[in-house]
Amino acid sequence: MHYESPIREPLILEDKTLHDITEDVARPIEGKANKYWWALFIAALLAFMWGAGCLAYTAGTGIGVWGLNKTVGWAWDITNFVWWVGIGHAGTLISAVLLLFRQKWRLSINRSAEAMTIFAVIQAGLFPIFHMGRPWLAYWVLPLPNNFGSLWVNFNSPLLWDVFAISTYLTVSLVFWYMGLIPDFAMIRDRAVKPTVKKIYAILSFGWSGKAKHWQRFEELSLVLAGLATPLVLSVHTIVSMDFATSVIPGWHTTIFPPYFVAGAIFSGFAMVQTLLLVMRKVVNMEAYITIKHIEYMNIVIMVTGSIVGVAYITELFIAWYSGVEFEQYAFLNRATGPYWWAYWSMMTCNVFSPQFMWFKKLRTSIAFTFFISIIVNIGMWFERFVIIVTSLHRDYLPSSWSMFSPTFVDIGIFIGTIGFFFVLFLLYARTFPVIAQAELKTIVKSSGSQNKK
Amino acid sequence: MSKKVIYGVYDDDDVILKAVKDIRAKGIHVDEVYSPFPIHGLDHALGLKPSRLAIASFLYGCTGLSLGLLMMWYMMIQDWPQIIGGKPNFSLLDNIPAFVPIAFELTVFFAAHLMVLTYLMRCKLYPGSSETSPDPRTTDDKFLMEIEAHGNEADLIAIMKETGATEVKEEKIA
Amino acid sequence: MATKKTYFQGLGELANNPELEKFQEKEFAEKLPTEAFLSDNDKLSESSTSRRDFLKFLGFSTAAASLAACEAPIQKVIPYVVKPEETVAGVANWYASSFYDGNDFASLLIKNREGRPIFLKTNDLCDKGGINARIQASVLNLYDSARLKNPLANGEEASWSSVDQSIISGLEAAKTSGKQVVLLSSSIISPATKAVIDRFATKHNAKHVTYDALSVSAMLEANSDSFGVRTLPTYHFNKADVVVSFAADFLGDWLDAGHGKDYASKRNPSVATMSRHYQFESNLSITGANADYRTPVKASEIGVGLVNLYNFLAQKAGVSSVKVAKSGFSTQLQKAANDLWKAKGKSLVVAGGNNKDIHIVVNAINDLLSNHGATIDFSIQSKLKTGNDSDVTELINDMNSGKVGAVIAYNVNPVYNLARGAEFASALKKVELSVSFSDKNDETASVMNFVCPDHNYLESWSDAHPYTGVYALVQPTINPLFNTRQAQASLMSWTGLGADFYTYLKSYWTKNILGSTSWSSALHDGVFKTSTTEKTPAYQGSIDSAVSALSSLSGDSIDLILYTKTGIGSGEFANNPWLQELPDPITKNTWDNYLTVSPRFAKELGLTNENVSNGALDGDVVDLTVNGLTLRVPVLVQPGQAYKTLGLAVGYGRIGSGKAGDGVGVNAFVFADNFSTNLSGATLTKVEGEVHGFASTQLHHTMMGRDRIVKETTLDAFKKDPTSGNEQMLLATHKGPQAPEKVTLWEEHDRDVHWWNLSIDLNSCTGCGSCVIACHAENNVPVVGKEEIRRSRDMHWLRIDRYYSSDMTQEKADAEGVSAIDKFLEMEVASQAETLEVVFQPVMCQHCNHAPCETVCPVAATTHSREGLNHMAYNRCVGTRYCANNCPYKVRRFNWFNYSDNEQFDFYMNDDLGKMVLNPDVTVRSRGVMEKCSMCIQMLQKVKLDAKKDGRKVRTGEAQTACSIACDTGALTFGDVLDEKSDVFTESKSPRAYHLLEELNTAPSVWYQTKVRNKEI
Repeated sequence: MHYESPIREPLILEDKTLHDITEDVARPIEGKANKYWWALFIAALLAFMWGAGCLAYTAGTGIGVWGLNKTVGWAWDITNFVWWVGIGHAGTLISAVLLLFRQKWRLSINRSAEAMTIFAVIQAGLFPIFHMGRPWLAYWVLPLPNNFGSLWVNFNSPLLWDVFAISTYLTVSLVFWYMGLIPDFAMIRDRAVKPTVKKIYAILSFGWSGKAKHWQRFEELSLVLAGLATPLVLSVHTIVSMDFATSVIPGWHTTIFPPYFVAGAIFSGFAMVQTLLLVMRKVVNMEAYITIKHIEYMNIVIMVTGSIVGVAYITELFIAWYSGVEFEQYAFLNRATGPYWWAYWSMMTCNVFSPQFMWFKKLRTSIAFTFFISIIVNIGMWFERFVIIVTSLHRDYLPSSWSMFSPTFVDIGIFIGTIGFFFVLFLLYARTFPVIAQAELKTIVKSSGSQNKK
Repeated sequence: MSKKVIYGVYDDDDVILKAVKDIRAKGIHVDEVYSPFPIHGLDHALGLKPSRLAIASFLYGCTGLSLGLLMMWYMMIQDWPQIIGGKPNFSLLDNIPAFVPIAFELTVFFAAHLMVLTYLMRCKLYPGSSETSPDPRTTDDKFLMEIEAHGNEADLIAIMKETGATEVKEEKIA
Repeated sequence: MATKKTYFQGLGELANNPELEKFQEKEFAEKLPTEAFLSDNDKLSESSTSRRDFLKFLGFSTAAASLAACEAPIQKVIPYVVKPEETVAGVANWYASSFYDGNDFASLLIKNREGRPIFLKTNDLCDKGGINARIQASVLNLYDSARLKNPLANGEEASWSSVDQSIISGLEAAKTSGKQVVLLSSSIISPATKAVIDRFATKHNAKHVTYDALSVSAMLEANSDSFGVRTLPTYHFNKADVVVSFAADFLGDWLDAGHGKDYASKRNPSVATMSRHYQFESNLSITGANADYRTPVKASEIGVGLVNLYNFLAQKAGVSSVKVAKSGFSTQLQKAANDLWKAKGKSLVVAGGNNKDIHIVVNAINDLLSNHGATIDFSIQSKLKTGNDSDVTELINDMNSGKVGAVIAYNVNPVYNLARGAEFASALKKVELSVSFSDKNDETASVMNFVCPDHNYLESWSDAHPYTGVYALVQPTINPLFNTRQAQASLMSWTGLGADFYTYLKSYWTKNILGSTSWSSALHDGVFKTSTTEKTPAYQGSIDSAVSALSSLSGDSIDLILYTKTGIGSGEFANNPWLQELPDPITKNTWDNYLTVSPRFAKELGLTNENVSNGALDGDVVDLTVNGLTLRVPVLVQPGQAYKTLGLAVGYGRIGSGKAGDGVGVNAFVFADNFSTNLSGATLTKVEGEVHGFASTQLHHTMMGRDRIVKETTLDAFKKDPTSGNEQMLLATHKGPQAPEKVTLWEEHDRDVHWWNLSIDLNSCTGCGSCVIACHAENNVPVVGKEEIRRSRDMHWLRIDRYYSSDMTQEKADAEGVSAIDKFLEMEVASQAETLEVVFQPVMCQHCNHAPCETVCPVAATTHSREGLNHMAYNRCVGTRYCANNCPYKVRRFNWFNYSDNEQFDFYMNDDLGKMVLNPDVTVRSRGVMEKCSMCIQMLQKVKLDAKKDGRKVRTGEAQTACSIACDTGALTFGDVLDEKSDVFTESKSPRAYHLLEELNTAPSVWYQTKVRNKEI
């Protein structure tokens, strides 16, 4: 039990006692959903179904229903994939890296951040499967012999690295999240009055009783998992970036990509966490736990990573010029001044300029402004991936093949669909799962609760 | 024959930590402590052996690494070598760089998942397990100490009371 | 498919060989030893298994094997009850035959698989004529679902007997009423057919009127004026050191498909004298694109220019020159004149257009240069075009005045391709009997009483006499698919000669042509040559009248040129989806004709082209009016086009041609009054608010200063230093400057069996596009249609990139300090018409030995073979498209949809008939898989297996690809570079050889040879 200096601002407000925390965390689960929740849920559900329809149409008719062509073989599909994977970085990062750094403020947000991670990675996972010409053969990317004959997969291919990276990341994040959930499920179980509910949470809580030995192992487990998850998080987007970095296409073939992508991922991940938590703390009244302090901390991360991304953009331009390779030089000139200049400059504005406002404490502690910026950043990061993928492909080496890309309603529909799917999952989570790691949070009531700061 | 256990309910983690220390100082064995969250130092106070999960996980990781490399070597170099992009697909050494990412992922995969499985097994945690704490409040804000009595119920209760237990009860369990 | 397929069972049967017929009636020659089986067992044991039993077992085991082998259930099994002895399942037969459609002649070898003609190539025994995209594609016309399946009487299907009866009586009626019987046909070069027609004419005292859709009547007239013979000479571009062409598209559709071959043989910079080529023309033709000096000229100025050239030469020759206004481009003419004079007797001046005066002056010029008898050969005449325009005009008048009792149209479509077509149609109403031999219910056939559908040439017996001393045979390579009858047979039956044209032909040949040679050897060779030559007529022309006529031509009005596209030509093949989807060599547009307008003029008129958000090209639409006729046409802004001259392709706007051809573009023939292709006094009015969508396979037209894509040099520089323009690129490394291929991490893989390489000579490539069609035919490349092309989803495995030069260059930018942004913006714009240069670059899969595509495929669907080929395993492909993205040459093609059996793509792969053209050796790709050039691996495999069977090595030059076979000009050289005797080995060692994008060190197996222009700079 370590104490912290009273000048640090409290991380839990309103003098919450242990029992208050239990009550607050259990309330959304035991109570009824308010109309905001239903409104959001139905909207999300509709979007999800629309997207599902578009996916079915694609799988049934052919990738031709998208806007792709002989020159631009990837566009919205992989853009969305990278975007979602990027978003999926914040959760594990918060719970793993911040745990290693013993950042107490992680405790009230890590549960939701991890949930978001998992849901985002699920969305991301859809695209590599459905962007295939023959999605029903997607299992061929697993190391199985061809039709169980003798031809194996190609371990030189970055796409195959993705397969392993994404699946490892998804499953490890999942267990990491679930291990944390067990004691909280137990808490719900012990409070539950309805027998069915009790039964369900009894199953979910794996018969947790909070024995001292279990807690000891639990702490060790979390620590080691965090230690494993940290390099994993970094590896995932590194490998995603290698899809491009290992290619020969000017604008893709760039050694700066791994760090640049990781920074971008954290950037967009935190932005998405902001978006979600700012909504959630209102909808399920968690103001006491997700305080301005938390928001400010995250804004600082956004500001820093945003600046890193900005530096990366500028480095790219410099290297293109410095390399003296005419293809590289044209690729980057074309990004900024070619037919897709608007995408490039939206990216620049959203990702590089907008986070700089966070230098001002007034702005980074304003909820409305934070929410606004978090949306802007997410838009900007989507454009970053669009710029990298489409503007690099559409004008590569031989001008005879240069072309353009414009999305069809199916492209758009699928993207909207994944957003819908994501929110469906998240809203269900918010109503049935303990949205705050209450067991762990209780450990810091003494050190960081407002009552002990007086 | 049925045995008697004494349950002492505390409502502060520091108090119960101190209580455990005092009681053990008196040479009484504290059987179990149920708490809503991990209490630092309690394992030492109870004299629990340090966990070896980390070591297990390290071993699992090594397994993952070697299995991964073995798989890639077998599939790409041993069983069905092909010329791909003019790269030397006939020797593991030349190909190692391309194998690093997957080797790493498999290391993490094995280390993480096998460790979690081990944890669940060692703690006997599994879906459908009906085990719960003797007092449901221990997942909320109460801390429970369990001591098995051997005819010394009275002084155990007294000790608990004086170490700050808010309520003490005596139960028979078969 | 509606009709019953009958399968060709070999030549014998077509020859109506009596033994065979007997044999067929009595299918099972020997009595079956059934009782041997039925009676006691020991007899059974000694009974001999009959041929029929053997065939039963064979048939069963084949069926069983194929059933076992196939994933999908077999829908059709075609058992050979009697296997034709020359047909072996899975082995192709090649039959010699000839192609002539009234325009081009080619002596061909037709590839038959299981009785289906599926591919063709030039017959090397015949040095005359040549193959082009249309001829290459003609095999698909055979399987055109729009072909008539029965004769028609007044639009209703009828039986031959009934049709014959009514036609004969009709003819009799005409005779008795003393009205004309007219046989209207295109030029006929078949002696036997001519004989039949004569017999027919004498019986029905019929008149034979000939005209050519793409008429050269004026040229014939000019020749009869200048030489007293109404005939065409043959031109020897392979003997001409200097070629000056006035709007003659001799690499396109000017007179003869064989010119490209001759021309290319003089374009190789390594030969003694590479020819120098001047082109004066109005719209950019492929000939102009290949010229060393190209001068854009307003159509009506060409005549004056020509006369100016005459004067320059007259001066040198010391002949009196004629009075004419000074031409606007006399400096270029002067230069041309100097070169011509230097090459006196080894030069050639040719002109296009159907204007007699022009050709009279051309004859005079060639006479000054004493080219007659040297590069222009009257002793070997070309018979390809004999049409006479005035006769048609006369015919229409006669029809109107009711003098004509019967019209029989043979291989002509007057209602479509006569300017007065509508008038012809109405005049037909005054004719009692009208018969068409058209194999479709097209514009003309649909207004005639009777349609007696002719065979496709691949179903017919015929012959050809295209040039003096050259005779060729046309033999069927498949039984008639439908209830059609050869036109000759029809004529014979109406003349009472029976309907057996084959026997007639054979006897005709043995009597009149063959002499001592045997029929079967002639049939085997497909071509028969004699040493006869015509006597050369002397030049006796005068040009005065012509000169005055020409000088009066020139004016300030807007001119319109009617031209032909290499794909569609005169439009008879408009329903051939391969040709519709073949990008025009110059504009790279498909499925369209359009008005080409020079950028400067378009600007003045406020006409624009722009790319929409997905890159597709849109153009303004105008109402084009000439001589009171108005058509609504889209505008394509065409660099290199002469100012104030418009171009419009004929051959479009067909009706009744079929599902692919109908409603594509507009019919420009309506403008061609008196077969004139140069018109003046055109007016344009922009149609506000209407845009036309073009389907273009190339959206970006300049090299953007990336001069290493197509390396160029001039002849002088090349003579000094053969590597000029092809300097070795060096990369800075820790070992000092290194050639890109030296900079590698790994050891190369062994190439010890074969190493298939392809070398592409950018000097010989004229951009004609027949290789593209050959690739289509050999590899079952799907046709995707206009909308998909607009989405940049063309499937061509082999494309021909066409680049325009730009007036903005790196050097200019550096010199003038132009900012990078402006520099690239200006680089996107093609040069001014005067300075425009054009290059063609065929690009297919480069079969990189360090292939970027292979590395990135997650499922190893594309890997490399030991023979240096980049394989594509369709079955393994899951369609991530990563390979296509990572291909620096962008040659990989993705199956966005299912292109076969799909209503959305209702071309030949969507009906059973069209599918008969598919090559059984090549998979039809399913949707969602990647495909690309395989270097015709099925052909390579065949060659290797043959060699293995004979226990020998693969012979030098034995292995070829479809494109290298199709290429007449020898621009594509294929072979094994490990074989030091092979041409491709020599080419790969040539100082001109380079790899595309060598800086990437993808180590391609395809070489390019520097483009050398014969011009001073």
